[in-house]
Amino acid sequence: MLEAFVLITIICGFFGIIFKKNLLMKIISMDVMSTGVVAYYVLIAARSGLFTPILADFSAASPASPVAYADPVPQAVILTAIVIGFSIQALMLVGVMKLSHDNPTLEISQVELNNTP
Amino acid sequence: MNSLTIVWIALPFFLGFVVYLIPRLDRYLALATGLASATYALLLFLAASPLRLQLLDQFGVTLLLDSLSGYFILTNALVTMAVVLYCWSSDKTAFFYAQLIILHGSVNAAFACTDFISLYVALEVSGIAASLLIAYPRTDRSIWVALRYLFVSNTAMLFYLVGAVLVYQSSHTFSFVGLRQAPPEALALIFMGLLVKGGVFVSGLWLPLTHSESETPVSAMLSGAVVKAGVYPLVRAALEVEELDPLIRSFGVGTALLGVAYAVFEKDTKRMLAFHTVSQLGFILAAPEVGGFYALTHGLVKSALFLIAGSLPSRSLKDLQHQPIDARIWLALAVASFSISGFPLLSGFGAKVLTMQSLASWQVIAMNLAALGTAISFAKFIFLPSGGEQAVKPGFWLALGLLLGGLVAANLVYIEAYTVANIIKPLAIIAAGWLLYWLLFRRLTVKLPRLLEQFDHLIGVMSLSLVLLFWMVLA
Repeated sequence: MLEAFVLITIICGFFGIIFKKNLLMKIISMDVMSTGVVAYYVLIAARSGLFTPILADFSAASPASPVAYADPVPQAVILTAIVIGFSIQALMLVGVMKLSHDNPTLEISQVELNNTP
Repeated sequence: MNSLTIVWIALPFFLGFVVYLIPRLDRYLALATGLASATYALLLFLAASPLRLQLLDQFGVTLLLDSLSGYFILTNALVTMAVVLYCWSSDKTAFFYAQLIILHGSVNAAFACTDFISLYVALEVSGIAASLLIAYPRTDRSIWVALRYLFVSNTAMLFYLVGAVLVYQSSHTFSFVGLRQAPPEALALIFMGLLVKGGVFVSGLWLPLTHSESETPVSAMLSGAVVKAGVYPLVRAALEVEELDPLIRSFGVGTALLGVAYAVFEKDTKRMLAFHTVSQLGFILAAPEVGGFYALTHGLVKSALFLIAGSLPSRSLKDLQHQPIDARIWLALAVASFSISGFPLLSGFGAKVLTMQSLASWQVIAMNLAALGTAISFAKFIFLPSGGEQAVKPGFWLALGLLLGGLVAANLVYIEAYTVANIIKPLAIIAAGWLLYWLLFRRLTVKLPRLLEQFDHLIGVMSLSLVLLFWMVLA
């Protein structure tokens, strides 16, 4: 169920990139898509359990049941991807700012018409 | 060797930031980075066994360095050095050189790693650095081209990330060997990302505009080295996981034909070279086990051709036919064109022979057709009139000397190619290509529509190629 929602988020973002006419909206759609991807990593990390994987002495508290830790690897990996994603986003927004001087509406068809040979 | 490898990977990133601190040293540091990588690649060729490094555990960073990555690294090093020499006396700022060094470093990292996450980071860094280089002139057009490049590659990499986590879910490792147990949707997503990033087949149509609208040194760098960062993982995956080999080969054939079909009809020098890059990437993928050598010769010749095309008086082939070009530039152009058509005595010949020998039987006809298309499209350059006078940039001849010298030297790698049967075949292909050029293509004016290169279509084609890949993997 949760997985379906996450995948729908990714697909919604992707369709936004295709169908939105405004360059700024396209970038925001891309952000939606990357949010979906990040959520998917978190979801997969939580398959084995929900506890934060911090090594501590739990055995004394509940010797019978081992603690169901979340998998730390996808979380660590997606941190890198989040940082990269947001720096790319920032760079793209700067580019859009520059483009908006001469193409104030930022319509993709207009930008493309003005800037391709 | 282990610690040397780590130092070599870290060096460009370190030097890239040093350039900001000591801007006066910019070009020397950039040249030194290229030299260091070239030396390291030569060490790799001398090493007896491939070097495998596993940092941390099975989910950590894995590096694999052998002669295949050695070829790619050498390509990157030589192209970077040539570009630095070309820009030596231009007024490029330290920012340009810093981005160049970081681009070089990230492409190197992509050639060294064999796990999906290091590859992701390397590809994204190369995407950022490349788009900053494209946008260097700060004109509206260059900013749009850079933005488009960054957008397309980042969207593709998001799909790739989903694929990577699916691989992790099935085998608890991000390493390439995890592809073996991966579900088909993971394969489709990862390959789609890499195909887009490498500019391969239908999803690679962002490449012609990006490579032709960039400045001369930047297009040389992009076409010579950066696209190979997307292609190398595909080659590596085909070698590590044999089940994927037919899939990669079929994409190679499709790409080779698609690129050449556009290149034959193109009337603009830089766009023709860019389409031709697409077709040559197909040759690399069509025979993964010898792809390294092909990548080296293609990198050298394509960056040389882009540097030459930037020094021609016009970009339109029609104008150039009435405007004689400098005899020395024409000579360099002819040498590069002969090499890429597979003429003996230059390393393009050895690479073509080697690739043709390792093709599967069903690929042969299509790849020979692509080779014929190459000969036709480069006949356009060879038959340009010479005799004019032109000034070129001071670093131009040094850069070309390095690249074309490399072409002649790399010829010695595969000296066994020189048998009578091997020599006759490329000559026949070139002769047939020239004949077709004179009879048909010289007069033909076909303007192929650029509809598929529009931004919306680029993104839309991604979803189509995802479906296509999914069916191919399932089949």
